Amino acid sequence: MMRKSLLISPEVCIGCRGCQTACKEWNQLAGVKTRNTGSFENPPDLIPTLYNRIRYVEVPSEADRQRWLFVNQRCMHCGDAGCMKICPAPGALYRTPEGAVAFSKEKCIGCKLCVTACPFNVPRYDINNKISKCHLCSDRISEGLPPACSKVCPTGAIRFGDRDALIEYAKVTGYAKVYGERDLDGLGALYAFKDAPSIYGMNESPAIPESVVFWNNILKPLSYLGIGGVVALALIHYVAFGPHKEEEEKYDEQHDKKDQRL
Amino acid sequence: MIRKTSAFDIANHWVLALSFFILTVTGFGFLFHLELMNSIFGSFNRMRLIHNWSGIIFLVSLFLTMFIYLRVSVSFGPDDVGWILKAGGYLSRKAVVPPQDIINTGQKFFYLVFLLLGYAISASGLIIWLAAGVKKWVLLSHLIHNISFDLLVMLIPVHIYLGTFANPGTFRIMIYGTVPLEWAKKRHGKWVRRMGY
Repeated sequence: MMRKSLLISPEVCIGCRGCQTACKEWNQLAGVKTRNTGSFENPPDLIPTLYNRIRYVEVPSEADRQRWLFVNQRCMHCGDAGCMKICPAPGALYRTPEGAVAFSKEKCIGCKLCVTACPFNVPRYDINNKISKCHLCSDRISEGLPPACSKVCPTGAIRFGDRDALIEYAKVTGYAKVYGERDLDGLGALYAFKDAPSIYGMNESPAIPESVVFWNNILKPLSYLGIGGVVALALIHYVAFGPHKEEEEKYDEQHDKKDQRL
Repeated sequence: MIRKTSAFDIANHWVLALSFFILTVTGFGFLFHLELMNSIFGSFNRMRLIHNWSGIIFLVSLFLTMFIYLRVSVSFGPDDVGWILKAGGYLSRKAVVPPQDIINTGQKFFYLVFLLLGYAISASGLIIWLAAGVKKWVLLSHLIHNISFDLLVMLIPVHIYLGTFANPGTFRIMIYGTVPLEWAKKRHGKWVRRMGY
């Protein structure tokens, strides 16, 4: 199956937050009381009951008083996902045929390792200590429907479709560089940015923590190669040198100071 | 017969060994997503509980182990150098090594390295458990936990091999705590002499 993804275009986003509402509705996520922090941004961060949200970014500008950017934040569905790499519970995080990183609360063991390995600080944990994050509406897209956020978006700021086609579309419409085209084996949430990603508050070069990569590529295989190698060496030693036998040796007190056969 | 190990230390060693075994099996289960573990432990959720609490038992047992040979392990003399130069006599059928204390040079090193790795893997495991989600601490601990794991799964099979097949007559220490005097004189001459035999 063709890998599916989202194409997010802050330039056409009007900040209506329909995506937040539609997501909550489809995924049956409870509303949470928040505080007024002097911004339309609400809630101020991703929470277990909010899988995607609009960040309101204010950037000083020469032309206008300032630029106001609306950037959708969510799980990026990395092609090479740090969360999936580090997760110790089989099936807790899994890749859908469409390329989404979905989860199973039943199989999640609540260790929060995924939180530490995520390059985008996305996974949250619910009150039952189970993972909670955007799963690209895997229950919708498997039936050929677009994710709720994309379905409801009135301006096309969140487009859903075949990943290659979306990249092509972004390039045709004037975005030379698509954020997430190559990083982490390609993100499942692409961004069409007019300026440098950092202006939009995005990491220019997202990466899985080096220690996690080192562990995955070196330490993990070394564990079974090591235990196997050592057992093999013990066998070889047993055949080559054999056990330490006492034979008929007698302990000689006169030779106390001298070397003794062990 | 001469007593080499107390009944308490024997019991403690079995607790340490058993908890280590459970931790290793469950550890490999987590590392390689061994679905087989579901049929042994019920679920990965329960396996996590068993892994964590076995870790606590391991840590307590490790602490109790620390007082047995620590003093003798940090003493290092010419006989230890001689033992190392002969590779403990393990690389020859006829090698003769200098007289050894209650534990030989190799056992001293193993003891110290095991204590170090044991505390490293316990402390890092506790941090992964109790500081869950704190990126800075958990990533460092995850690395230490896995480095110690790799070293331990290489070290312990050697320990088991040397305590069983490689040295007939050694394993009984883990059951009875006693060894024949003649055996002790040959392998732990220095200790036997100190004990006045």
